Amino acid sequence: MDTVLDAPVKTFLQVTEFWVPEGDRLVLATGNYGGLAAFEDATRAISFAKGEGLPGKAWAEQRPIVLKGFDGSYFKRTEAAAEAGLTSAVAIPVFDGDALRAVLVVLCGDDDARIGAIEVWSELDGLMMLDDGYYGAAKHFEWVSQHTHFPRGQGLPGGVWSASTPMLFRELGSGYRFIRADSAGKAGLTTGLGLPIPVPHDRQFVLTLLSARGTPIARRFEIWDARPEKVGHETAAILTDGICERDGPLWTDDNDTSPRRVTANQGNIGKVLASGLPVIVSGAPTLTEGYGSMVALPIYQHGAIAHIVSWYV
Amino acid sequence: MQKLVVIGAGMASGRLLEQLIEADATAYDITLFNAEPRGNYNRIMLSPVLSGEKSYTEIVTHDDDWYAANKVTTRFGEKVISVDTARKVVVGENGDVPYDKLVFGTGSSAFIIPLPGHDLPGVVAFRDLEDTSAMTEAAARPGAKAVVIGGGLLGLEAAAALRLRGMEVTVLHIASHLMERQLDPAAGYLLKKDLERRGINVILEAQTKEIIGNGRAEQVNLGDGTELPCDIVCMAVGIRPAVKLAQDSGIACGRAIKVDAQMRTQTPDVYAVGECVEYDGNLFGLVAPLYDQAKVLAKTLLGQDDSFVMRELSTKLKVTGCDLFSAGDFADGEGREDIVFRDPARGVYKRLVIENDRLIGAVMYGDTADGNWFFGLIKDGTDIADMRETLIFGPSYQGGAQADPLSAVAVLPPEAEICGCNGVCKGDIVKAIEGGAADLGAIRATTKASASCGTCTGLVEQVLSVTLGDDFVLPTAQPICGCCDLTHEDVRRLIKTKELKSQEAVWQELGWKTRNGCHSCRPAVNFYLLADWPLDYKDDPQSRFVNERNHANIQKDGTYSVMPRMWGGMTTPQELIAIAQAAEKYGATVKVTGGMRIDLLGIQKEDLPAIWHDLNQAGMVSGHAYTKGLRTVKTCVGKDWCRFGTQDSTGLGIKLEKKLWASWTPHKVKLGVSGCPRNCAEATCKDIGVICVDSGYQLSVAGAAGMDVKETERLVDLTTEDEVIEWTSAFVQLYRENAKYLDRAYKWVAKVGLDWVKETLADPATRKALVERFDISQSVYQHDPWAERAVPSEAVKFQPMADLTQEAAE
Repeated sequence: MDTVLDAPVKTFLQVTEFWVPEGDRLVLATGNYGGLAAFEDATRAISFAKGEGLPGKAWAEQRPIVLKGFDGSYFKRTEAAAEAGLTSAVAIPVFDGDALRAVLVVLCGDDDARIGAIEVWSELDGLMMLDDGYYGAAKHFEWVSQHTHFPRGQGLPGGVWSASTPMLFRELGSGYRFIRADSAGKAGLTTGLGLPIPVPHDRQFVLTLLSARGTPIARRFEIWDARPEKVGHETAAILTDGICERDGPLWTDDNDTSPRRVTANQGNIGKVLASGLPVIVSGAPTLTEGYGSMVALPIYQHGAIAHIVSWYV
Repeated sequence: MQKLVVIGAGMASGRLLEQLIEADATAYDITLFNAEPRGNYNRIMLSPVLSGEKSYTEIVTHDDDWYAANKVTTRFGEKVISVDTARKVVVGENGDVPYDKLVFGTGSSAFIIPLPGHDLPGVVAFRDLEDTSAMTEAAARPGAKAVVIGGGLLGLEAAAALRLRGMEVTVLHIASHLMERQLDPAAGYLLKKDLERRGINVILEAQTKEIIGNGRAEQVNLGDGTELPCDIVCMAVGIRPAVKLAQDSGIACGRAIKVDAQMRTQTPDVYAVGECVEYDGNLFGLVAPLYDQAKVLAKTLLGQDDSFVMRELSTKLKVTGCDLFSAGDFADGEGREDIVFRDPARGVYKRLVIENDRLIGAVMYGDTADGNWFFGLIKDGTDIADMRETLIFGPSYQGGAQADPLSAVAVLPPEAEICGCNGVCKGDIVKAIEGGAADLGAIRATTKASASCGTCTGLVEQVLSVTLGDDFVLPTAQPICGCCDLTHEDVRRLIKTKELKSQEAVWQELGWKTRNGCHSCRPAVNFYLLADWPLDYKDDPQSRFVNERNHANIQKDGTYSVMPRMWGGMTTPQELIAIAQAAEKYGATVKVTGGMRIDLLGIQKEDLPAIWHDLNQAGMVSGHAYTKGLRTVKTCVGKDWCRFGTQDSTGLGIKLEKKLWASWTPHKVKLGVSGCPRNCAEATCKDIGVICVDSGYQLSVAGAAGMDVKETERLVDLTTEDEVIEWTSAFVQLYRENAKYLDRAYKWVAKVGLDWVKETLADPATRKALVERFDISQSVYQHDPWAERAVPSEAVKFQPMADLTQEAAE
């Protein structure tokens, strides 16, 4: 494996952390703070009750939440975030049926250089509508997205919604729902990962991560399928799609080569399969495909992990 | 160098070039024509390119660099006008190319239904990148609508992709269910439902009447009067082999270019491969047989023998989230039976078709995990009679549930010790891996884990696998049995590391696949537990072999043998009288054994407690002739009697036997003590042998005189009896703590290496600790099992369950 790190880039997501329920509170499991030590220290000192702070709110409201601007909000680490230059956050609850397994939180800074998008779409009256999103400096794309909706099967949100599976779109600048695509192209957005966010109630949520070349959310994306329909009775996952700046396409044509397969506890994806929790690894490039860090997020269906999406930067 | 000209840069000819160049890059000077202005790309992945889930660059198989590197002259974007087989020349738009060998790889073209309006702009097929680009462009208009004619594989992939692109899509299909060639009606129903859930409108039994529009396709009209406005029409109703050039060139064609099993046409030096060929009356549309053909043709071109063989094919649909599989023949027929499984909640449908105890067809929707297994059964014609009842549940049901072999190691904390020899913890190994150690050799070099006795090798490899994922290929190891995927060594190590002190803990924490083990693993686990945790774990007689349960050796006639212990082979007249009386009383046959003991054969099971009681009364205890434990210590008479004797070999033998008796070991342990190198006690073929010499004692181990015959190897030379007893006890304890169950000492030493044994025992502290642990174990287990079972409350267990000789009362 090539473990030589590429030149550091300014990443869109500056902090990634996940919280797990312990009794009636959410406690920090692990996080990648990208050198924001003071914010990390502030984080390690706290936990959240249901409804408290951003992770607690995602737990209580049973939905992904985008929070832009911390001042005066329910965000608990406002001061430390301000000092670290963090201005927005997204909390993504990981539900297994009714049970909360974890809350993944990503935090972003606000400047004119960071372009990307992390969006939450939800179903309303038979259409996927933008719930909220954080776009950094991609203001026009933000405006266009706010005025776009997706029927079933259309575009990344509609496709994920109808297929109940994560999807990875390339070349965002061409195609899907013309105006948004055109704007995405102009904003420099290249790759889009969409994933269903199952919650205990009936409402459908789709999370999208749209990555731009200059300030990537990730430089490698992977989608793993762990459904028994696909992998049999073994606790395992196969790599069904993926793209990497260095390795190129990660999918295989199964007429030629079987897809990569990992079983429970085999590497980072195996760790997600075994623990049922997200995984965040940083500072060990040999374990993260040569990149500085990685995040792997499980998506549950029918009482078990159905898919795992992972991104590396 | 011979000149090879290939017409068509499709997937079949692309694979041909790969095979040919890989086998002999200097065999041919190759020229490749392609009418498309590009080289070989993975055409079957055009659907995800259309949907946006792949980019074109991702599906390019051979780029310009590949052709340049392999010295293939490309004539892309240039049509071949004709082939002159008499002159052996290919005539291209830009000039002639002579050939020695010519390959047609012209593929196929889409079949366009000659409807009114079929030739309007905006009517496209779905065959190449141009078609894909045309559809992508059409999708970029607001509110764009598409009509896809054809509900087969390609049409449905196009429909799903166009929907993702944002179009309103209608699929028209002439049959009563979708993909009727690959699916039965039930699976077709589920597929239609799935597509409709994506917002795709599906019209079955559709009679397409015409395509109309003002200068381009704007509407499709059906026979029943339905009007479907559209911006683009995708015609995906089938393919036709592209053979016009071949026909015009005088190559023999039927429905396609006729080839034999070596892919030769009927024209000398002209070959064909791919969708443009007809073999034995068959045409080809799926990629698998094309690759087979390419392989055969490469060999043919290199003058090697090979033949194309038709094989069963399976089908998959490339629509994300739509899981479908079909293979074989699933039409109804006489003598055919169906096995059907449905799960309405999960949208799963599986149907297997069986004929003459063979699986001949499989259709699956929603759950395709076992598709390849079923496909294998179909291809191999496997007799499925024995698994018929459970066949539908797939291979894992046939073999029991699958466990996770890595789970035990994965949950170990960083401080858990993996390598006992060098005190290396899991965390140390993980750190080394993070630092770049990616294989066993590197771990050994950086941490010393697994570098000594090696019994933790399996665990170290599992830590590598857990940490590196599939970048590390876990070697196949022999599992303890079918109940668990871990090896004996791994189980032993994990019992220590995870401090597992009961069978239940082992079953649970090490992922046993059975409720409580089997006849093979239970005795091993029982031994490992009692050897490692003598104070915490209680020996489980139910986990022992029958001889150990009954404390006597069962014989071929169902009776038992009884052998009292004679310390060092010494006995007394009183003992002999007691033995003689017992023999007479219980009708025993008397035999002197090779280990210098007296064996009483032919004892009934119910008499065992009584004879044990009688022998106990004379001061004798069990000789453990039936155990995986200390058997006998054979001695010579030593210096008290023998003219050559150097030390008191008998006395030392007695001391050793009194120290070691009743200890459980991985396999039986036999000792010998000879008073001089003449070795009358045959000590040098025992598990442990002592040869007395003038200067002291030569202690050697790992001998054998059974199925294998092996001389012992010198462990150490010692000067006192106490040292011999200490070293022997330490060796036995080391063996008890480390060996695989049922490995005799010589086998274990061969695995871990005598050097490691020597090094370990040479350390006084280690030796002392081993002896202490042995003594602790003996404090629990060194007692006479006969005495315990000779009491009435236990003796009753040796009585027959019922007297079957009596007749029932009427």
